[in-house]
Amino acid sequence: MKLKPLCLYLIILLIGVLCMGVMPGHAAKISVVTTLTDLADFSRAVGGELVEVHSLATGVEDTHGVPMKPSFVPIMNRADLMVLVGFDCEHAFLPALLEASKNPRIQYGRAGYVDCSQGIVPRDVPRTTGHSAGDVHPYGNPHYTLDPVSAKIAIENIYNALVEFAPQYKAQFKRNRDAYLAKLNAKIAEWEKEMKPLKGVKFVSYHEHWPYFAARFGMDYFGTIELRPGIDPTARHIEELVASMKAQHVPIVVREPQFPEKVPKRIAEQTGATMITLPIMPGGVPNTETYIKMMDYIVHTMVNAVQSRK
Amino acid sequence: MKFMITFITLLFMLSLSTGTFAETLEDRVRTLEENLEKQEQTIQELRILQETLKKQDQTIVEQRKLIDELKAEVKQSQPSVSSDSSAANQSAETGQIQQQVQELKEQVGQVVEAQRKVLPSEFNPSIGLVGETIFSYRSKGSARTGSDRPGGFDAFQRSVELNAAASVDPFAKAYVVANATADAHTGESTFNIEEAAIQTESLPWNLTVKAGRFFGEFGRLAYIHDHELPFVNRPLVLNQYIGGESRTDGIQVNWLAPIEHYVSLTVGAGNQFGGDVPPNDVGDFRHLGGWNYWGRLSSYFDLTPDISFEPGVSGLWNPKTIDRGGQLPQPDGSTLTERERRLVGADFALSWKPLRNNQFQSLTWGTEVLHSNNRYDVNATDGTMFNQSVGSLGLYSYLTYKFHRQWSAGFLYGYVEDAQDNKAKTYEYSPYITWALSHWNQLRLQYTYTDHNAASGLSPDHAVYVQWAWIIGSHSHGWQQR
Repeated sequence: MKLKPLCLYLIILLIGVLCMGVMPGHAAKISVVTTLTDLADFSRAVGGELVEVHSLATGVEDTHGVPMKPSFVPIMNRADLMVLVGFDCEHAFLPALLEASKNPRIQYGRAGYVDCSQGIVPRDVPRTTGHSAGDVHPYGNPHYTLDPVSAKIAIENIYNALVEFAPQYKAQFKRNRDAYLAKLNAKIAEWEKEMKPLKGVKFVSYHEHWPYFAARFGMDYFGTIELRPGIDPTARHIEELVASMKAQHVPIVVREPQFPEKVPKRIAEQTGATMITLPIMPGGVPNTETYIKMMDYIVHTMVNAVQSRK
Repeated sequence: MKFMITFITLLFMLSLSTGTFAETLEDRVRTLEENLEKQEQTIQELRILQETLKKQDQTIVEQRKLIDELKAEVKQSQPSVSSDSSAANQSAETGQIQQQVQELKEQVGQVVEAQRKVLPSEFNPSIGLVGETIFSYRSKGSARTGSDRPGGFDAFQRSVELNAAASVDPFAKAYVVANATADAHTGESTFNIEEAAIQTESLPWNLTVKAGRFFGEFGRLAYIHDHELPFVNRPLVLNQYIGGESRTDGIQVNWLAPIEHYVSLTVGAGNQFGGDVPPNDVGDFRHLGGWNYWGRLSSYFDLTPDISFEPGVSGLWNPKTIDRGGQLPQPDGSTLTERERRLVGADFALSWKPLRNNQFQSLTWGTEVLHSNNRYDVNATDGTMFNQSVGSLGLYSYLTYKFHRQWSAGFLYGYVEDAQDNKAKTYEYSPYITWALSHWNQLRLQYTYTDHNAASGLSPDHAVYVQWAWIIGSHSHGWQQR
């Protein structure tokens, strides 16, 4: 008799599964799963109508903290390509998801495992991988897509993977890629022109997201609010940061939207700096659904923040 | 008239002057001769000078001619010579630059490769170490609480876990978890292999096979290591019905349903199940009925992007337990010998994890209900022997709220009926707070009130625990830690 509630529970569970899990027919499109939304945007741009792209992140998450949802597993199970940032960016969620997906095509080292960091010259490669330096990325800082020129290498990697997977569509992929790169190159010239007055302007951010961006546009990346990557700031660290920002007249505090506003805001108030909120991947804030829109937003916000202080 | 006077005056003066110098005419001739000689000498010198100048002019003209000729030659030859040399120079420079770029590329590649080679995750195998120390105070002694730790103040190095994992070949990976822990009674360190298993990675039909010693997949928390639990101690019901961690020596197959919805099915078989209870009697000859068989079906639903529901059901059956645990003495003096082990469970986790700041905020409600229905041979105090099934129920439910990247707090409720005597009931109430300084360094403070009913023969107990857990070396974020 005591088993009855359990049986009922089991029946409800099975009915739920059957109702929600009925599978429609497989699409003929190439199934591409990306970890982050910028890579999804690039994959759509290069793959066009030939691909069906699914991003694990929606854009608002921390790039290192996308929740490991079991609902990702069936999607990854059917994926032809798994496109990732690399440089250990996704170490907190991707390895376990890959194992759970049971899809040999997209495992590490296979053709379907598309590491977009191939060909990127890494910045901030740590001398030691000890945890005393925080949650460091042993291969180097993984936030290279915030530099649009480096992003072109990621696009090239996606193109190569698509061509390798479906060589019969090479001409289409090439046409799509060239069209997108032409658009991106024009925007890069525009962004470089807009950012020219910001050369040498100092800024701090919550997490170490911006070394590639700063190098591209000649800005001075002064430091981070986090004590170390992934380690929250201590009171002493904030005190020292505020003192050095005052001494060096750092005018901008960047807060990434997945981090709380309280600490960056307080630092900005204490130093007289301007706090701005910048997305780190498309969809991070409204009206940044694509990579180009996101970079537009970042550049305009940064430029406006500096100019409004003059 | 004036003109005539002037003319006469001049003639007079002239006649007068001629008369004055007539006397020195010889002197004047001599002077003139000397002047003439001087003039002739000067003329001679001038002639010599003129000759010299003529020669110099000629030399200059010749030199100018030569310069012009040379200039003409230079003009003719210079363009071809300079263009050739500049082109050569340019091409040499380009070659040098290309070579330098190539060398730079190679150096960068080598640096990158070198960096990759020293990664912990690239070691073969990757190795990590987990340590866990428990400081505690219990209001009652172990005889009155049934605990394997003494009452009063206690410090206990519960575990030092050495983890190693690597790919075996393109088809499988293997891992080992070796644990050194202080013996509950002697305090001596004992070293044992908690897990050592091989797991396939490339089987078709969404299958994975694991074999060796491992934590069998049963329920929500039974197959999670102590230091990974959301609270200090494993819920009482898991200790009672499973024997702590779900350790087994056997084989387990997992299948992911090939549908759009997540459904995972696991079945396994092993000759024991549960880490802390003495394993089945080795016996003289073991039939397949002497093995434990278990299974788990689980699924997952995204109710909203931020809220998820993850249910599961599990079952364990050992048709012929072969005296698992030996003779089990009862408070009334009788003994039980387990002959069949049956355990079923249902569990769920309801989670709220806002996508945007899930690193800083989340709320998880986890619950698991287990029903044990073991069959025993009873050796009563009056000497009679009979067969008896004991059905008992147990559950735990916890709520953990994460309110900061480093801080979370929660409450655990537990209830269990003794698997051998369902009249003996125990309750536990445990508020806890966790401070995770980083991924690898975590402190937890927990208060536990344990209440027993009269049938259990045990006394209520207040306990305070401080747990300090740390990780060094390689670590991975496992699927069960999601």
